[in-house]
Amino acid sequence: MSEVIVVTSGKGGVGKTTTTANVGTGLAQLDKKVVLIDTDIGLRNLDVVMGLENRIVYNLVDVVEGNCRIKQALIKDKKYPNLCLLPSAQTRDKSSVNPEQMKKLVDELREEYDYILLDCPAGIEQGFQNAIAAADRALIVTTPEVSAIRDADRIIGLLEANEISKIELIVNRLRMDMVKRGDMMSIEDVHEILAIDLIGAVPDDEQIVISTNQGEPLVGSDSLAGQAYLNICHRILGEEVPLLDLDNKNGVWSKFVGLFKKN
Amino acid sequence: MPQPVILKSNPHGINLILDKNLPFGELKQEILKKFKESDKFFKNARIGLSFEGRDLSQAEECEILELISANTSIEIVCIIDKDESKDAFYVDKIKEFDEIQSGRTGEFYKGTLRSGQVLECETSLIVLGDVNPGAKIIAKGNIVVLGSLKGNAYAGASGDENTFVAALDMDPVQIKIGNVIGRSADKGPLLAIKNRKKAMEPQMAVVSGDAILIEPITKGFFGKNRIR
Repeated sequence: MSEVIVVTSGKGGVGKTTTTANVGTGLAQLDKKVVLIDTDIGLRNLDVVMGLENRIVYNLVDVVEGNCRIKQALIKDKKYPNLCLLPSAQTRDKSSVNPEQMKKLVDELREEYDYILLDCPAGIEQGFQNAIAAADRALIVTTPEVSAIRDADRIIGLLEANEISKIELIVNRLRMDMVKRGDMMSIEDVHEILAIDLIGAVPDDEQIVISTNQGEPLVGSDSLAGQAYLNICHRILGEEVPLLDLDNKNGVWSKFVGLFKKN
Repeated sequence: MPQPVILKSNPHGINLILDKNLPFGELKQEILKKFKESDKFFKNARIGLSFEGRDLSQAEECEILELISANTSIEIVCIIDKDESKDAFYVDKIKEFDEIQSGRTGEFYKGTLRSGQVLECETSLIVLGDVNPGAKIIAKGNIVVLGSLKGNAYAGASGDENTFVAALDMDPVQIKIGNVIGRSADKGPLLAIKNRKKAMEPQMAVVSGDAILIEPITKGFFGKNRIR
């Protein structure tokens, strides 16, 4: 049984693409057949985060318009042969594809892959409608900021109206030091406001910036964010994993915080 | 045989009582005759006209009006509707409206309203769920939220200031009752979240003078406060 998961947020810049890359790679590490689709037509960047930009020949719009077969457009990951990327087109815009075409495309991919992850563009316009059309399940990414949470709430409402009932929350870019000082919302605060199931919390981690710049997802590495993403993957597979202790003194992330505090 | 056309004056003009069974062509002749007879009396008068005793179509009404203006010096400024079935219809409508206004009927909505969602209701409204910031509920009658009201609520949407908004957890961005608007205190959004009440406290908002008054619903609240 394959599952189609859309990663969405409403607001831009909260970490949808990073989450898609890491969750997708993590599921591949757990021996699942995974395909990532970048639906952000015109603002392509999942391929960059995955470090696969130089391999692009065909893209999503080419497939939809029949310029090539799906197989030709899929790019195999550098490390994991069971992980593929369908890149977006950079020279077109969102109106190049409609929800029906997305559904058809995804249905074709369902036959071969266990998980199909859709990286959704920011906003609630056509790009969003395209991305959610074929989804069975949604991961809402939000940062602990009121603006991101407000947008996430709107997105949840739209998903529910589109009869996507399996909606789970990822709180991204948490800074425990700020939460402790009361300057940032805690996971509990965010969870209470949005009132949907929490599937993971990811700390704000320098390693994410480094890994993104290198084009290598850090999921599974010994950084705190890498652990957090891998836990999310386990939970997607239905396993019960306790929430990571983000104050973990042994984590690389808290070492950085520790350095800060000494100064 | 009774007269097929009777002219009867009333405070606003003339009541034209028409025979129900006469063919329209003949009726027109009779009307013309009647007005010709009294043309001198009505000379250059400006009157309102109403029809009675017979259901006229719009076209027939127009024909009669043309007939009168073409053959007499009377100027008809308006037509007054006088129809018993219409009257009864209006009375019913007004009564129904009053019932809605006084909040005697209502609708239930089950589910949480999220940012961007708007729920409008012709009667009173009971929400079994939360109303999140950015969401809006509008009712012509009262509003009751069996959950947290954190968005906008607008009761008495057709102007009735005797309506109320009640919620188990009252933390709205804005409440409007009739034409009176109340808004939440100015505090940063983070502070609002951090300072949220841990326990629910049911509260009710009503219009008091020209402001919205929010009071906790405690034991004996309805004994002290008569809800209209």
